[in-house]
Formats: sequence, structure tokens, C-alpha cells
Amino acid sequence: MPVIPSELVRSGAVPSALDLQRKLLASEPLLADTETHLIEVVDVLKSYGEVLDAYSKNLIYQAEDQFLVPFPLFKYLNGDKSIAKIWRHLCHDRINFEYAEYCMKSMLWHGTGGMDAYLDSDQFLNNCALIIARKRRDPLLGILNPLFPQFLAELIRAAATTHALGQFWRVMSDLFIDLASAEADGRVSSIAELVDFIKLGLVAAAANPISYGVQIDGNHYWILPPEAGLTFLGDVAVPYVEAVFLRGTPFLGTVSFNAQAQQISPDQAKFCYGALYADPLPSMGAGIPPSLLMQDMYRHLPLRLEQLYEGRTRGAGDVRVKICSSFQKAMFCVTNAAIAGTFPHGLAGADAAEIAADGAYANAWAQRLCQGRTDCLAA
Amino acid sequence: MMLSILLLIPLVGALLFLILPSNLAPTRMRSIAIAVLVVQLIWSLRLLFAFDPEISGMQLQESYSWVEKLGLRYELGIDGLSLPLVLLNAALTLVAAVCTRELSERPRLYFALILLISCAVNGAFVANNLLFFLLFYELELIPLWLLILIWGGVQRVYAATKFLLFTALSGVLILAAFLGLALINGSVDFSLSPLITENISMTSQLLLLGCLLVGFGIKIPLVPFHSWLPDAHTQASTPVSVLLAGVLLKLGTYGLLRFGLGMFPDAWALLAPAMAIWAAISVLYGSFAAIAQRDMKRMVAFSSVGHMGYVLLAAAAATPVALTGAVFQMVSHGLISALLFLLVGIVYRKTGTRDLEVLRGLLNPERGLPFTGTLMILGVMASAGLPGTAGFISEFLVFRGSIQTYPLATLLSMVGSGLTAVYFLLLVNRAFFGRLAITPADDPELHKRLDVQLAPVALRETIPALALAIAVISIGLLPVGLGSVSNAATGAMAQLFAGVG
Repeated sequence: MPVIPSELVRSGAVPSALDLQRKLLASEPLLADTETHLIEVVDVLKSYGEVLDAYSKNLIYQAEDQFLVPFPLFKYLNGDKSIAKIWRHLCHDRINFEYAEYCMKSMLWHGTGGMDAYLDSDQFLNNCALIIARKRRDPLLGILNPLFPQFLAELIRAAATTHALGQFWRVMSDLFIDLASAEADGRVSSIAELVDFIKLGLVAAAANPISYGVQIDGNHYWILPPEAGLTFLGDVAVPYVEAVFLRGTPFLGTVSFNAQAQQISPDQAKFCYGALYADPLPSMGAGIPPSLLMQDMYRHLPLRLEQLYEGRTRGAGDVRVKICSSFQKAMFCVTNAAIAGTFPHGLAGADAAEIAADGAYANAWAQRLCQGRTDCLAA
Repeated sequence: MMLSILLLIPLVGALLFLILPSNLAPTRMRSIAIAVLVVQLIWSLRLLFAFDPEISGMQLQESYSWVEKLGLRYELGIDGLSLPLVLLNAALTLVAAVCTRELSERPRLYFALILLISCAVNGAFVANNLLFFLLFYELELIPLWLLILIWGGVQRVYAATKFLLFTALSGVLILAAFLGLALINGSVDFSLSPLITENISMTSQLLLLGCLLVGFGIKIPLVPFHSWLPDAHTQASTPVSVLLAGVLLKLGTYGLLRFGLGMFPDAWALLAPAMAIWAAISVLYGSFAAIAQRDMKRMVAFSSVGHMGYVLLAAAAATPVALTGAVFQMVSHGLISALLFLLVGIVYRKTGTRDLEVLRGLLNPERGLPFTGTLMILGVMASAGLPGTAGFISEFLVFRGSIQTYPLATLLSMVGSGLTAVYFLLLVNRAFFGRLAITPADDPELHKRLDVQLAPVALRETIPALALAIAVISIGLLPVGLGSVSNAATGAMAQLFAGVG
């Protein structure tokens, strides 16, 4: 066997599920607490925050202003149809809003949490019927609805998920930008503090109501009414993490390849193609990195992180792989914060049943996380 | 004087290196070598413009007496068979110098030897006298031996010695044939003409041709005289492999056509059926052996064994189309194998290995060698004879020209052509597709998490390979240029053979 120069290959340590569980229960961050990790996570989340701001605005624009538009040709333009804007769009000088849509579709497809349950309720269908009755004046929709009675309702479900994801990302965008400010003025100086900052942000927004209504011919119609009682954390954030961070979807172009290799589980709950499992190296299989998001984050990469990347491997040549790696570290931190904020009981408690419940909760998470790209967690 | 100047350019360059100060930086020496080789290339192109493609015989001839008692005359000439090979030599020696990097050991000697080889190869291609040819044929032997011995791999001593023994034996056999000719003729006329063999008995002709066949067969190399080549390639550095595969093997096929077919057409007609079968065996053996390799360089080396068999097949058929195919095959194999060796060299320099059991996913756009991989795919496609590349034209001409004369041998050779696609797709599939990794896949979980950090390939490193790739495509799309240069000469050679038939 030939000797391979060791500097060409690095392999991060892979923590065991037991190790991850211990850290979760001890409130230790999953990501190694180093200065470089802090820069990577804070800066990549700052760029992510700026991208999420754009995604959020566009999703809300699509849900409100492009609602049931049969051919939404200008849905990515946020209402600006100037020649200059269209030209920049055609030259691809723009954010990849398609990625936001993929995330929405992933949430809709995996369908977990309270919002999904509500989207199948009679109340939602009644609201849909009212809207469709009003919209039937549109000739195309008037033909489509009798032919395919479930089609418009499904479009409205997609619009509702789009709006809910827009609301979720609005909060997350602000949180990540605030995190960058907090790190800049010294309020956050370690990974542990960073995880705590995100946890507090999530907890603060946990009970935020999620609602969505549309204006049709001057009349207001509720799609996700306030009385449905949908909230930020349980009904949108957790389903989002489940769908996008963990489950994901196999890459469309290689579905058949992965299916032939018997790699796609018939049980959606067992999917592990999400961001935490993605291989940062594009390798033409499932578990692909969110490459459109990588491109968008590269447009907004803070100078400090760019300089950090310059000194590694190929500089800007493999910057998307580096962004993906840093992004996975950041997402482990966000997941870490979400888990810490959703323990069934306070970790400081002494009750044996509560400790057991927290232990089981941490163990369930550790089992899922340990299959992911945990090699990025080591220093 | 044009041909003498062609020989003088690299010779003066080589001598210049001997008087250069030894403390001159290797990069400076490389620049000087490149400058000399650019001049040689320009002069070779000038020959192309001075050459009249309508004339089938030798052109730009020069003749001076040298050692008359030995029959050694300074006789030079060029025709449609040798001109493409002179151009190939000029181009590939330049490529070899350009792709020489990180040379810290004895750069003065290294570049002097490269230039000396270029001079010797030019001399062999334009020599118009048997002994003069042999002089140049032997002259390239020692420089190449030194190039493998000093700048080779771990087992360079073994490979260099094997190369020396085999090719020295080749030289001895060729010398024996030439001296035997003089002995039988009872004169010291070593001029290059079929007339000097016309009064020789068929038995003697067969004996002399047999010596030449084995002698040049070692150099080509044909099975079973091939075993020195994979070892020499594996241990030689990339530029030396480029020269070896691209130019030096062509001395064997050129010698076979020029001296075997050209001087012994009667005996050739008798041995041709056996040669055709020999060619098919060589093609199939080379292809099957290539399939079994796990070292990329050995795979390309065995592909050379197979592909040079096509030239023997074409020479055996000796129809005008087949002989044109032989010239095309010599040129296209020179370009394609040089391209493949260059790319394997880049892979080895960046990854530290050529092992197909170790390399994976090098086509990865972010961390792999995507441009190198792209050129490699183009190179293997050309080698497998895909339309639009030089490989297609040459294989098509060889097969088209030989199928009616030797259908069985041609069909078997076609199978070999198909096998080229098999082993080169194995190479591309193993080394370039899949997930990027350069370690044994003993632990699948670990394998998935490896972070490979290869240094990127700078554009300047790929310029020689890019130039060769463009040449391969150009000949594939516009073969008429090369065809018009060689048609008259190959036509005359075929006529000589047909006259016998």
C-alpha cells in the first residue's frame, strides 16, 4: 500500500452517542469551545441571518402578493418589475430564493408539528372553501377547481407553509444578526455563551403566534387564524428543524440512483438527508450540501471569516465546502440550543422521574445526531 | 543545410549546458532549455513549409562523405514518413521541458540529456544511411538510461538496467542485420535503398528481416519483448515518460517501416501474415494486462504496448490506407500517451499516489482536480478511439486498411480497441468518480468523513496537457493536414510492397 501524505487527509474525531448525551445533560456545548469555532459560527450565522432576511421577505411576499397567482413569473422580484431588476435577475445577480422554496416544500412534505395537523382540519378546509368560492371568478381557477377539487386547497397549504416559514426566518434572521452584534461588543465570547444566547432567543420567541391571512377583493380571509393557536417554537421551529436539519430530501436528480442502491427508507421519519447529515463535498449522491444557500452566504460572508478561509486549503477555491462545514457547526449549535430549550424538565432538578425523562430526551437526540457530520464538532 | 541545422539546434543547446555555471538556478536552466526547444520547434515547422507533399521520395537531402571505408556517410533526408515524427519530437520534447518542475538535483545534466535525446531522435528520423541511423538510435540510449537512473523512482536502478539491457540488445540485433547486409552484399554500401537487397537470397532476407523485427520489436515494444516498458515508465519521472511513450517508441515503428518494409519488401510479404497475428496478440495482451493494473502509470504503459500493435498490423497489411493509418497512429499515440502520462503525473504530484485502489472522486469540483479529470476523460476517450479525436482517425484508417488483407487479425485488434474503453473507463471510474478520498476504504464510516485537502492545480501546470489535448482534437477534426504530408510517402511504400505482391 503506498504511503499517503498525512497532510492531504484529515479526519475529525467522531463522538459517540453517549458522549453527546452526556454533553446535552451537562449543558456543555456539542461544538468544541475554541476561538476559531466562535469566529466561524458567529460570522457564518451573520451571513445566514442576512440571507434569511431576504428569504423571509420573499416568502412573505409570495404568500401575500402572489397568492394563487396561476403563473407567478415574477415571484422572486418582490414586486419590483423594473428592467434593471429583471436584468440582474436574469444575470443571476440575486439571492437563490429557490432554496427557501425547497425548505418550504420539505416542511410541507414531511409534515410534522401542530401546523401540519391544522392544515388537515375541517376549519382550514372551510376557510379554503370560502377563499376558493371567491377566487372562482378567476377563469383558470374556476376550471381547475371542479376538475381537481384538492388542487387549490393544496396550493393554499403551500402558501400557508410559505408564510409560516417566512415568519420563522424573520425571527431567526434578527436573532443571528443580534448574535453578531453581541459577539462584537463582547457579550458573547465563547461557544457556550453563543448556544445560550440562541436558546434565550428561541425561548423568548417560543410563544409568538403564527397567523396568516390574505386580502381578496378588499376582504380579509384567514388561512392560519389566531384562534388556531399556532406558535413559533412548537408548530414551526421544531418542524423546520425536523424537516430541514434532520430529514431533508434526497437530491431530486439522484433519487433513482439512491433508490437503486436501496438507500432511501420507505419511512420518511428515518430520512437522514438534512443539513446536519450533508456531505460538504458535492459527490453526486443524497445527503448533498445546501449548495444554493452556500452561494448566497458567500455573497454576504463577513471579511473576518473570508480571511480565515483564505489561510486554509484552497483559499477561495473551495470556499463553499468551508462555508458548508462552518454552517454545519453553526447548525449543531442552533440544534444544541433548541434541545436545551425544549427539555421536558429543568436540568437542575433532583426528581428521579424528571431526570429519567430528561435523560431519555437527550438520548433520543444523541442517537439521531451521532449519525450526522459530528466530525466537525472536534477542535 | 536545413536538416543539419535541425540537428545542431538541440546539440548546441546540450553543449551549452555543459559550459553553463553550475550555480545557475534550475528555473533559469529550464527557461534556457525551453528557449532552445522553441527554436527547434520553429525550425521543424519551417521544414514543414519547405516540404513538398507531392514528392514521395526523400527531400532536403544532404550528403557528405564521413568514414568512407566503413560505409558511413553523413546523409540526411526527410519524407512524409519522417516529417510528422520530427514535428512530434519537437513538440513533445518541448512539453517534457515545460512540465519539468521542482528539479533540484543536477539540473544542468538533466536538461543537457533531454536536448541530447531530442537531437538523437531527430537524427534517427532524418538519417539516410543505415549506419548513421544506428549511430543516432544508440545515441539516445545512454541519456535515457541516465534520466531513469538519476531522476527515477524508488526502483529506478532495476528499471534503468532492464531498459538498458533490452534496448542494447535491440541495437545489437539491428547492427547485426545491417552488417549482415554488408557481408552478404560484399560491399560497404549502407545507403537507404531497396536496391541493395534485391540480389540477396530469400533465406538471407528472411534472416536479416527477422533480426530487424526482433530488434525494433523490442523498442516498440511488442509482446513478448515488452516487459522493460512498464517498469521503465513506472520508475521514470513524468517528462521522461512523455518522451519515452511519445517519441522514443516511435523509433521502433519507424525503423520497422523504413528498414523492414522499405528494404525487404519480398521477405516482408512472406512474414506479413505472421506479423498481423503477432500484432493482434500484442494488442490483446497489452489490453488485458492494462485491465489488470492498479497503478495508473502501468495501465497507460500497457495501453502503449497494445496501441503500438496497431502500427504493426498496418505495416503487415501495407496497403496505402493502412500505412497512412500507421503514420496517424504513431502521431496520435505519441500525443495521447504523452497527454495521459502528463495527467497521471499531475495526479501523482498532488495526491502522492497512482494507486487505483486508493484514489477516488478526483473530479470533485471543489477539492479535487476537476480540470485534470476533464482532460483525462478526453485523453482516455481519444485513446479508446472516439470520433472527433486523433485516436478515431488512426484506428479507423488502420482497421479500414487491414480488414481486407487480414480480417481475423484486424477483428481481434478491434476487440483490443474495445478493451481500451474498458480499462480506461475503469481508470476514470475508480480515480475520478465517486466521493473524493485518497485512502484505502477499510472503514466506510471513516471514509465518508475524510476531509481531503489536495493542493489546487495551477493553470500553468495544465498548459502542456491542454496544448496536447487541443492537438488531439485538432487532428481528430482536421486529419487532412497530416494525411497530405504523409500520403505520398506511404503510397510509394505501399506501391513497393504491392509490386512484390
